[in-house]
Amino acid sequence: MSQEQFWVLFSKKLTGEASAEELALLETLIQAHPEWQYAIQNLEDLWKTKAATDPITGEDAYMLHLHRMTEMQISFDDITGRSGNSVGKEKRSRRWYWVAASVVLLAGLLAFSSFYLFNRKTEEVAQHVNEISTRPGSKSKVQLPDGSVVWLNAGSKLTYTKDFGKETRDVTLIGEGFFDVTKNPGKPFIISAANIKIKVLGTAFNVKAYPEDKQTETSLIRGSIEVTIRNRPNDKIILSPSEKLVVENSEAKVEQVDKSADKTTGNIKRTELPVISTLVAINKLKYNPADSTVAEVQWVNNKLVFRDESFSEVAVRMERWYDVQIAIEDPGISDVRLTGVFESETIIQALEALKESIAFQYEKAGNRIIIHR
Amino acid sequence: MPENDPIKRLLAAIAFTNDQSAYKELFILLHGRLKQFAYSILKSHEESEELVSDLFIKVWQKKDQLTTIESPLLYFYTSAKNMAYNRLSKQKRQVNSSPEEWLVQLNSVYFDPEQLMMTEEMMRQIRQAINTLPPRCRIIFKLVKEDGLKYKEVAELLQLSIKTVEAQMAIALRRLGKCMELEINQLNINTQATKKS
Repeated sequence: MSQEQFWVLFSKKLTGEASAEELALLETLIQAHPEWQYAIQNLEDLWKTKAATDPITGEDAYMLHLHRMTEMQISFDDITGRSGNSVGKEKRSRRWYWVAASVVLLAGLLAFSSFYLFNRKTEEVAQHVNEISTRPGSKSKVQLPDGSVVWLNAGSKLTYTKDFGKETRDVTLIGEGFFDVTKNPGKPFIISAANIKIKVLGTAFNVKAYPEDKQTETSLIRGSIEVTIRNRPNDKIILSPSEKLVVENSEAKVEQVDKSADKTTGNIKRTELPVISTLVAINKLKYNPADSTVAEVQWVNNKLVFRDESFSEVAVRMERWYDVQIAIEDPGISDVRLTGVFESETIIQALEALKESIAFQYEKAGNRIIIHR
Repeated sequence: MPENDPIKRLLAAIAFTNDQSAYKELFILLHGRLKQFAYSILKSHEESEELVSDLFIKVWQKKDQLTTIESPLLYFYTSAKNMAYNRLSKQKRQVNSSPEEWLVQLNSVYFDPEQLMMTEEMMRQIRQAINTLPPRCRIIFKLVKEDGLKYKEVAELLQLSIKTVEAQMAIALRRLGKCMELEINQLNINTQATKKS
């Protein structure tokens, strides 16, 4: 073994490039040359010593960088950064791939600064889009420039353009939002969400349109809204207060209107249904007789309410609510129906409470929870 | 030393959750190194600063694409290199496309002797050894030691074979090791001298 090979192996060891065989080879070599020990020790120490970096220079440079972005009219929602709000940064679940997160400061929103459109596939710099988003496990309340108030549930995103309020009030929703829209008959408020479009004049209602959910739900609390389904643009569904519109997200289904639609005021013109239609149902919202609340909007009051929902549906909602991933490994229990409310419970307390109704075991590692019998 | 995993996590946070604190963290993590790297080619502090800023604008614009990159560190250095070359050719300045013409600053010479059990003389020798590394050896040493790139990434960035990177790193370490061998010899001489007296 030559000296040259020793130096190749030793530098590979320092830099973490050496294989197991190379390390073993180096070890025997070092043992045969105890006189090298001093140099080896010093070089190892020297290698570990980091050249001092100056974080202040980095901070200053970042300020300059932001300033430059502003000058170039390139900016993002919150220019000052929110170091205090970076919880869950390491979450990489694909579930949330396009359900944006992080609560955006209201100030940035009202300032009409120019943003990037979340759909960046076009590579185009769309400078006029405002975006409010929440990460899993958090909620946000925002006021739009027209005074309308939107509560965004966990893992949701609301976007609107700079032209908001000029002629119409257009917003796009991914996820779940409760809207309390100010009255302005001259400027209709239009929400695009998943496969539906909702036109409102002034009202309060909830829209649940998570991309990973099977259904898009619209629950009307008061006022009146007009809903159009994407693949049936000519049909307008008028919702009356206390009604909930459920639209199946799979478009390929050949289906007639759900039976429950019969009970409604007949706003769906059955005769005009196209051959390929979407499963649509209008249900009555169920008020809790005790306090006349509606389960669909209880999240606004910080309550996770489920009434007669399957364990797998509840698990999906808990994932968003607690920012966790839940895998139910036993198909036998995923269909069990559940009714309940979580308010201040931690995820562990919630799971323990569920165990009262369903016999299961769970394992929690980080934010992953595995449920089995 | 920045490595790919934490950078990947930050890029994921930026892309998936529009996390601007992650964006800032990434900027601060890489700014100094990328600026020095750009400076070695552009030889202008102002332009290097601009280049890093441009690069990070690109990061925000392309954030959705950056999550699938296997080696983000290599991506950052390659982008910086290409952007620097583009700047030079736009200004009709000579493009010094050979890394041997780069002006490489090494920070490793500014280590703190107090942390290491070494004598002043040895420190001086090490500094000199680092400062007199041949140009190619110098840039490779910097990219591995100070910038945290793997051999493979350095090879790709500088368009060299991995064997070359390996050999150049061995040269750098051997030169540093020599400073310490000398120390051993001196120690031996000193002990002998003490014995004699």
